[in-house]
Amino acid sequence: MSPSLHRIGRLAAVALSAAALSAGVAGCSGGSSTDEVKSSGATAGGVSRVAITLAAGGSGDTCSVDHDSVPAGPVTFTITNRSSTAITEVELLSQQKIIGEKENLAPGLKPVSFTVTLGGGQYQIYCPGGSPETVRFTVTGKAAASPTGGAQQLLVDGTKEYSTYVAGQVSGMVTAVEKLQRDVDAGDLEAAKRQYGVARPFYEHIESDVEGFVLPGHNATDNSGNLDYLIDMRASNLDPAVGWHGFHAVERDLWQRGKITASTRKLAAELTTNVKKLAELSKTLTFKPEDLANGAAGLLEEVQANKIKGEEESFSHIDLVDFAANVEGAQQSFAYLRPGLQKIDPALTAQIGKRFDSTRSMLDEYRDPEAIGGYRAYTAALRSADANKLSQNVQALQDSLARLAEKVATA
Amino acid sequence: MTEQQGAGTDGIPAAENQATGPVDPSAGAGKRRGLSRRGFFAGAGAGAVIGALAGGGGTAVALQSDGEDQTAGVDFDRSYPFYTGTHQAGIQTEPQRYCVFMTFDLVADTATDLQVLLARWSAGIAQLMKGQPVGAVAPSRSGAVPPDTGEAYNLGPSSLTITLGLGPGVFDHRFGLSAKKPRLLEPLPTLPSDQLQKAYTGGELSLQACADDPQVAYHAIRNLARMGRGVVNTRWTVMGFGRASAGKGQTTPRNLMGFKDGTRNVKEAADFDDHVWVGDGDVAWMRGGSYQVARKIQMNIEIWDSADLSTQQQTFGRTKDAGAPLSGTTEFDTPNFTAKSGGDYDIPLKSHIALAAHENNGGVKILRRSYNYTDGISRFGQLDAGLLFIAYMKDPDYFVRLQRKLGGSDLLNEYIGHIGSGVFAVPPAPKVGHYLAEALFS
Repeated sequence: MSPSLHRIGRLAAVALSAAALSAGVAGCSGGSSTDEVKSSGATAGGVSRVAITLAAGGSGDTCSVDHDSVPAGPVTFTITNRSSTAITEVELLSQQKIIGEKENLAPGLKPVSFTVTLGGGQYQIYCPGGSPETVRFTVTGKAAASPTGGAQQLLVDGTKEYSTYVAGQVSGMVTAVEKLQRDVDAGDLEAAKRQYGVARPFYEHIESDVEGFVLPGHNATDNSGNLDYLIDMRASNLDPAVGWHGFHAVERDLWQRGKITASTRKLAAELTTNVKKLAELSKTLTFKPEDLANGAAGLLEEVQANKIKGEEESFSHIDLVDFAANVEGAQQSFAYLRPGLQKIDPALTAQIGKRFDSTRSMLDEYRDPEAIGGYRAYTAALRSADANKLSQNVQALQDSLARLAEKVATA
Repeated sequence: MTEQQGAGTDGIPAAENQATGPVDPSAGAGKRRGLSRRGFFAGAGAGAVIGALAGGGGTAVALQSDGEDQTAGVDFDRSYPFYTGTHQAGIQTEPQRYCVFMTFDLVADTATDLQVLLARWSAGIAQLMKGQPVGAVAPSRSGAVPPDTGEAYNLGPSSLTITLGLGPGVFDHRFGLSAKKPRLLEPLPTLPSDQLQKAYTGGELSLQACADDPQVAYHAIRNLARMGRGVVNTRWTVMGFGRASAGKGQTTPRNLMGFKDGTRNVKEAADFDDHVWVGDGDVAWMRGGSYQVARKIQMNIEIWDSADLSTQQQTFGRTKDAGAPLSGTTEFDTPNFTAKSGGDYDIPLKSHIALAAHENNGGVKILRRSYNYTDGISRFGQLDAGLLFIAYMKDPDYFVRLQRKLGGSDLLNEYIGHIGSGVFAVPPAPKVGHYLAEALFS
């Protein structure tokens, strides 16, 4: 497995949007003061450097940071997984927004890094599966200018950044499905299964935007021009006129048939083609604030309708991977609305933030770095034991999110 | 503002405030007045309604015309008050025709979360018992999610009562309430014949919603559960129909075994004081409250249905048609547990009424307020039905004593299994401006 190649496109997009956004993150031109930079031993060439090391430990794998404080300005985080098998990803968070992240971190691979420009404030380095899972990270000096303008303006600004997020996800998906296609072409069943688990979350992060995934010149009811149909349709909802394409047809071959055939190769190639079409299309998508609000609630509806029942990934049983990705996508939609929402209804904003935390920490209990996609297989036994708990937690979050659309539409 | 305080003012207005939505305030009541059978008999129904009933409703009228049950008429406009400051409704209240019982587990972190939930539920319950929605059914802005789900809109109060109970878990270490724990509230011990299933057992809060219209009762529970999302998770629920216990002035109904059970239920006010209401002997805030024991009792319907009449009557200790004790001739004859014919007791010692009788249990009485239930067909292809047994008493040990005896010997045990169980402390009703169990947080 190569280190995180598929994330490059996404990280570039996230870093760009992070720089322009929201509390705590400075604008590119805002930078840091030269004096502050000189005062830090961790800097070089005006860029602060932070090393994050993952290691196996007696009482749980550790995620340690060589500096937990840097001056405002550009910061390069370099992550080395020395010996941890429990921690496979690291995120830098601010107000629940993912400012930067790296996934598929395995011992023995080369260190990976990402650079972001940060304003003064509190951040968290989140190492799911580690002990502790979250390391506080402080950026000293000038805080990024608080977002100014009315709630409506802040919301509209958020939608522009969200468009960038969507484009970043799609770009990551292109890289991931290309790799999937290579594994399929090579006839490597195990590698293809693993890569399927890597590729799925990109789609699940943004699948609430599917109404826009219709190719130009096609009617919305014509499935042959509906990229959501062509990429993500499950066996239960097929249109006989168009046939079965996309992720789940590949999933069926890899798991149920357990072999790669000429037909699997064709499906994988076609998936790459369609995801590339989506990448072109996603550049043209624009969003209204209520789209983000409805989308966040919609992703949780997806969880309740398909993932909780194990219907989504009925061959691979990686439903919890999709579940977590839907929640993450919803959380990102919410995060981009957050500066505006904070002005409209700070209490509801705080409540939703808290419920996202609760859902994410619940999901952390299901992480399994050995499993495909990084979460335990959603077997019949696990479903029977835990579906109720998972469902009720998500429903509480969704009820709160369902009230967002009205808030933003009337801002 | 702290996060905890935020939970109370987080944009979810209290139910009372929500009620200011564009809902016709008169809409909740009166729309079905003409359908009240009591009104019909009294000649109060509008002429048009009588005309409408003359065709389709004739059969129903004929069936009810034997005059046996003067309280069988349903007045959908009847409502009970919530803010009385004494006992919660739904205990001494004459049993309504339907009941939805649900228990919940707390997932909240803080006592404040629980406090806010109890306050919001109280306001919501008061609203629901008046027959009004908990907020707008159709908000003025189409982008808003309707606060009330709407399915009981215009159905009238239908005698709805909602009774809240607090389980033992509320008083564990999490919320700092252990010093306020009701003295007698402990999980029930394992009892003979228990076949408890985790899916129907326990719960940290209980809600019993009873009404003469099942949709009104369901709507109440659904909306209260909705209000609690993120603070409580639902745990188990039973929908009850065909009240299986009688209150004062009501005829004794039949359970799904076709028998009148509960003829000798607690009915007089003095008995309530002696056996049901908590007095001075407990924590102060429970005065006027009670303890609730809820059991889901599955019946082996097919096996019962193939038992001969004599076996059935011996099992209950009563006749099937009149409901008379086997020592007597009419339902309300006092059972004579020593009467014998030809060497055998008229009422078998292991019959249900002999084992449950207060005479044979040191005078102990409990208020039974049960309903029949069905869950369709079991995975074994059998009818899945039984009794939602709900009882109230001033000391849960009353139930334990009775059930130890019944569970050990009752002839009925061959035909039933206790598959669900919960015990709850039921606080007294609040006064206006207050909420249920408020004293826990002072």
